[in-house]
Amino acid sequence: MRKLRFLWALCLLPACLSHSFSGETFTEELFIRGLPDGKVASRFEFSTHSHGATPRNPQNLSVEDHSQHYTLFPLALGQILREYAVTELHLTLNAGKWNYDRWGYPDEPDVAAGAALWAWMAEGSAGANPRHSVDARWRDLRNALAGLFCASIASLDEQRTTSPARAFTPFGALPAWPQSGPHAFRHASLPSENVCTENLTPFLKLLPCKSRSGLAHLLNPHRLFDADWHGMGLHVSWRPEDGVQVRLTFQSVFDPLRSGTSRDWSFSSLFDRTVDQACPVAASSLVLVTLPVREPYSIQPEPASNANNRGVFPITEQTVPLDISIHWLNPFQHATIAAQAPLSVRRMLRGAAQSHGTLAVSITNPGSAAVRVVYLETLPWIVHLYLHTLELSVDGIPRADLLEDISYIAPVPHERASTLEAILAIPANSTVSLRVGVGRAFLRYTEHPPDAQRGWELPGAVVVLLDSENKPQKPVGRWVSTNKEAAQRKQAQVLAQAQPRRIYTPALLVDPATPDFSMPYNVIIFTCSLVAFIFGSVFNGLTRRFVVLRASPE
Amino acid sequence: MKLSLDFGVVFPVLVAGRLLVALTNISDALKHDHQLSTPLTSYLNLQEGIYLFKNGIDPYSGGVFRHSPLFLALFTTVLPTSRTVSSIVWTLSDAIGAWALVQIWRARQRVAQTSRDGLIAAIYLLNPYIFMSTLSLSTSPFENTLALVSFMFATQGLVSPSLLAAALLLQLSLSSILLLAPLIMLLASSPVSQLASPRAFSGNGKKMAPLVAEFAAYTAVLTLASALVSGGWAWVPQTWGASLTLPDLTPNCGLWWYFFTEMFDYFRPFFLMVFSIHLLIYIVPVCIKFQYDPLYAGFILLGILSSFKSYPTMADQGLFLSMIALFPETYPYLRYPIVTTLLHLHAALLMPLFHHLWLNQGTANANFFYASTLVYACANGAALTDCLWAGLRIAIGEPQEGFVVAQE
Amino acid sequence: MPHIHPDGTKLRDPSSLFYQSEYIRRLIIGSYWLVIIAAVPLWWHITSIQRLSLPTSRVRAQAGNQLHFPVQIQLEGIQDASLPASLQRLVDDRIRRSPQAWKGLDVKVNDQNGVCVTATTWELLTHPPDANKRLDSYTVRSTEGVPLASERHLAYPVRTETLPMLADTLSALLVPPTDTHRVAPYSPRYRLAFTLLNEDAAAGRAISGWDISGAIAHSLSILHNFTIESQVQFHAPLAFSPLSLDHGYGLTPEDLTVPLLILDSNGVPSSSDAFLLPQWGGIVIYSPTEQQHNVPLPPSALNSVFSTFASQLLGLLGVPNLPPDVHMNAPVLTGWQLDALLRRRTLENVQNAQDTLKSIVKLVDQIENMPVGLDVKGDVQNSLTALDQMYASASTSLNETLHQSADALTLASRAFFNPGMLALLYFPAEHKYAVYTPLFASAMIPLAAAAAKEIAAWRRQRREAAQVVQ
Repeated sequence: MRKLRFLWALCLLPACLSHSFSGETFTEELFIRGLPDGKVASRFEFSTHSHGATPRNPQNLSVEDHSQHYTLFPLALGQILREYAVTELHLTLNAGKWNYDRWGYPDEPDVAAGAALWAWMAEGSAGANPRHSVDARWRDLRNALAGLFCASIASLDEQRTTSPARAFTPFGALPAWPQSGPHAFRHASLPSENVCTENLTPFLKLLPCKSRSGLAHLLNPHRLFDADWHGMGLHVSWRPEDGVQVRLTFQSVFDPLRSGTSRDWSFSSLFDRTVDQACPVAASSLVLVTLPVREPYSIQPEPASNANNRGVFPITEQTVPLDISIHWLNPFQHATIAAQAPLSVRRMLRGAAQSHGTLAVSITNPGSAAVRVVYLETLPWIVHLYLHTLELSVDGIPRADLLEDISYIAPVPHERASTLEAILAIPANSTVSLRVGVGRAFLRYTEHPPDAQRGWELPGAVVVLLDSENKPQKPVGRWVSTNKEAAQRKQAQVLAQAQPRRIYTPALLVDPATPDFSMPYNVIIFTCSLVAFIFGSVFNGLTRRFVVLRASPE
Repeated sequence: MKLSLDFGVVFPVLVAGRLLVALTNISDALKHDHQLSTPLTSYLNLQEGIYLFKNGIDPYSGGVFRHSPLFLALFTTVLPTSRTVSSIVWTLSDAIGAWALVQIWRARQRVAQTSRDGLIAAIYLLNPYIFMSTLSLSTSPFENTLALVSFMFATQGLVSPSLLAAALLLQLSLSSILLLAPLIMLLASSPVSQLASPRAFSGNGKKMAPLVAEFAAYTAVLTLASALVSGGWAWVPQTWGASLTLPDLTPNCGLWWYFFTEMFDYFRPFFLMVFSIHLLIYIVPVCIKFQYDPLYAGFILLGILSSFKSYPTMADQGLFLSMIALFPETYPYLRYPIVTTLLHLHAALLMPLFHHLWLNQGTANANFFYASTLVYACANGAALTDCLWAGLRIAIGEPQEGFVVAQE
Repeated sequence: MPHIHPDGTKLRDPSSLFYQSEYIRRLIIGSYWLVIIAAVPLWWHITSIQRLSLPTSRVRAQAGNQLHFPVQIQLEGIQDASLPASLQRLVDDRIRRSPQAWKGLDVKVNDQNGVCVTATTWELLTHPPDANKRLDSYTVRSTEGVPLASERHLAYPVRTETLPMLADTLSALLVPPTDTHRVAPYSPRYRLAFTLLNEDAAAGRAISGWDISGAIAHSLSILHNFTIESQVQFHAPLAFSPLSLDHGYGLTPEDLTVPLLILDSNGVPSSSDAFLLPQWGGIVIYSPTEQQHNVPLPPSALNSVFSTFASQLLGLLGVPNLPPDVHMNAPVLTGWQLDALLRRRTLENVQNAQDTLKSIVKLVDQIENMPVGLDVKGDVQNSLTALDQMYASASTSLNETLHQSADALTLASRAFFNPGMLALLYFPAEHKYAVYTPLFASAMIPLAAAAAKEIAAWRRQRREAAQVVQ
């Protein structure tokens, strides 16, 4: 028996936060494309706009915020954004290594392994409450997001926090508040974070239709977490003309060839679910499928429209239930795959010694034009660079000229990570190899993780392509317009232009030398006894009287 | 054994030989060695600091560079940092050290030249602890040279150069403050050996206060110069502070690193304090006991320093061992020189072996190396207490059949 | 083996050596001790746990204090001058019977002239006769008709025979019974989150929004000092299967006109469409009758929903109901109710603050390793100060008193939960000795022995010298 009922819950919680009622729009989109190696990439994107909303000025943190009333915008997230006056926020939780060479650029560019969090927050005026400083808010934000997403984001502490100046640019705009300081950037990553179902559930709760209707219904954890690669993202940004946008993304790479030779796929085979209901509050709900070129195939149902070789399937009450399936008439031929990305980056740590080694990075540019990149390396303090040993070479020939600029923040033991940002020129058709010596710190026995022998994961390096004006290539698309037709019109344009800017390398494992964890008391006894023995001998030597004794007859 | 080789021949030959070895590639293999250089003296860290400094990054903003700003000034203006030049500079520093040691010997004997000169130079230049440290381009041989030069000027009665060298030494290594008291006493009295006939301090006590003031003035000027060079005071906690707070737990041949790796966080500050104060506690007793021979007091304090300081290298112990050559009169009174030698031999073999097995080979663990540093500390302690004994025992006279001299 | 003088040897007599002199030896031993003694303050500074002294005696004294709210009841329009005294007796009777409920209240019944029946000279001096302007005074005016409560007035047919009933009514107004299980715990500020839940918006009919700002302005504006926020949920299925009530006509699952009802314990549908979750919140069920699709909630429905919310909120906040026989003549609540609530909350806060402060003092006393930092001490002192100020204001302003008591409780709780107080709990004294012993036992024993020996020798020498002089 199905009835319509509306429930109101009135909750009383010991308090604090807020914003006025304003128009909100929700759009959703699923984009599926086949990859050259027969795998299938899917990207879900759920955008919620709060029109006219503005980020909170940290200047006003000490006064009561206005009330927050939301219809579509997730209240739990709104509370966090207002409480800590966050202007722009990005959180990604990814599992696996994105294979740029075979899969090309991801549709969602941020595919760093594990958890990564970065945000822009304005500094309040000088002399304000220290709890409202950027660093205090950054810490509280980490704790709040850790609670919201059930992830170890809280352990992204000061030792993992960096503020690289060049590699990351805000996606939206940063408001200029007269009394507040400029916006500060904070970035932290935790490559060892395992992403699993318990992170997906809170993610789905931020959606107005949860996973009960619309495209989110396809987000079946059993299938998604079985994929070759999967990752979710939360992106909050602001633009003066559009207000605050929350974009939730889920990207995965499935392998239909894992159990057979056919790369055919359907919603049922990929997600084990179909779209049964349209999300009633979605202003636009689309499925886009890249259609095969120069190959015979059949698709069920037929797309409503076809733009730029992309089939468009709007989800409406008329089109549900929807189970798109695509069938190739010819079997899949495994073939060598040409490099799919404009750059290919490899990074490894060489050297058998536990006290020092060499970080070796090779960046290959298969294209016919030279490119310029920002190379960003953020290392926890347990590994420090010997920057004076930095060498750049092409085919074994030293090329110091390829290093155009360098900025470096040295690590502080037990406290601060190091940040290296270098602008490199990568000549056409060549491989630049970068080598730099590293030293490894020796940790106090309490500083080792519980599974000390496993080692520490170093965050991946980030390579950012620069445009001719020496700025990181401007982020394109992903700002989903709120106007429905404009959104559809823009969609094709956006996807055509979509050009991710950052390339992430996989994490590296480093095993610092470990002390014997069972020894503390033994060491205290051994060392203290020895020191006391020598001390006592010297003391006796200095104070005791000399006497002459007659030797005994024998 | 009596060496009749002329110092004028032996010394150039030894220096030339050292130079030849230094110019080989051996230093590349040794520069990572933890026994020969510590984070405070490592050549790699020095080069890193110079690189950062030249590139406009404050080298003291991070935790890698812990050398004195005077090194920055020296290497960014006067000296180039190329490997070859460095090898020559380091070897020359050792040559100066050896020459200073010979000068101290001559002043102690009150002669212009002795037949032992060549031997003494050889004992310094061929001491493996010093030799290897120099090859690894650790800056601790500079500290040895400065200590020797300071003592040399003191034995020659040259007050200002001696105090200046001591002030420079203090810039490089905070714990060398221990040497100030015997140095001042030496400046106020005579360098001639008085070990066999102890008597009350003969020097002019009133002379000492201005000497301390002069030393303080040099130190103040050098400290200010360091602040000017590095553009601030961040170097103080990074260099001097590091030897008190031990932020870098890289293994070395001393006793501190593993102790503070394994220390409970709660007790860390307390034991850091105890270990630092422990060094200071020796100054006054040793200087009182050997007030009639301040050079010997300085020698004993060097031995204590090389065993107990926070970031020791083998070169520190090398200096102490080489200085034994200055006191041949005490040799008959050493009780167990063989044991000490064997202990040192044992430690000198075990330490590199276990270090390699632990960090490079991965077949041993930290306890192996720690145990070998304990053996090394025993060897240092044995040498120290034996020299202390011999320095006192000599006053009673030559051993005689049927009688035993002991301490009650 | 005895010490021998090396006669006949070439060895020098050790005792003749300069460095063997007692003076030198004592100087050396003294210099060792000098450094150690000089290091003691540093040692003390490094290892001592900051344990500032807490104002223990103030806390103990404060714990014995009892908050008293004076309550003046003016009887007006009565003919019989003995009525106030009789009423006072009746009220005193009830106070005697349940002292716990009347804790903290000093009730005085006055006649219309404001002269306290039991007043002493002192009270006449401190409480001037025009006390009916004061906040702690309530008026009972004798009228005919139903009892009517408004602000701090009660219209009641006061006669000799109704006096016992009046006493009961007054006790219900002044110390109303409360359901502590239902009332939310006290907090200086509450966050109100309103959520509109659609069971399944995709099923076709959904309410897409509500003009909640307007509704709040209309219904809850009186209850200021709340942080208010709201959201809409489009998919909130019931966690259970509702029971289908067979009304004799067939229902299909798609039949959306049937309302969702609440059954009482007898299985009979309740007339109410709302229920309250103790200490947490309230739920109102809205079953729309007309066909709606993605439209906002109509204002008429919003009004009824929010008036239910308002009464639920009052219940959660612990606002007492009027006695059943008394009618209300006020927009939301009467001064009687508000005052009773404020008094109860204040008494609770005071009790909690006193208990917390006592606990802190006790804990710090018991655990010697517990650090007490400046912030903890400051919080405890400020909490005590707030309590002191509260006692001072108890007879002048109820609002001020509540405010002070809340401050005292907040500060005391903050001190109690200060994370710095837990830092060193895990290093008991035995552990410390175990860590210190290896170094100190072996290094200090020779030092101490040498010092003791020298002191003994020095004493002996002095005694001998004295004997020689004699």
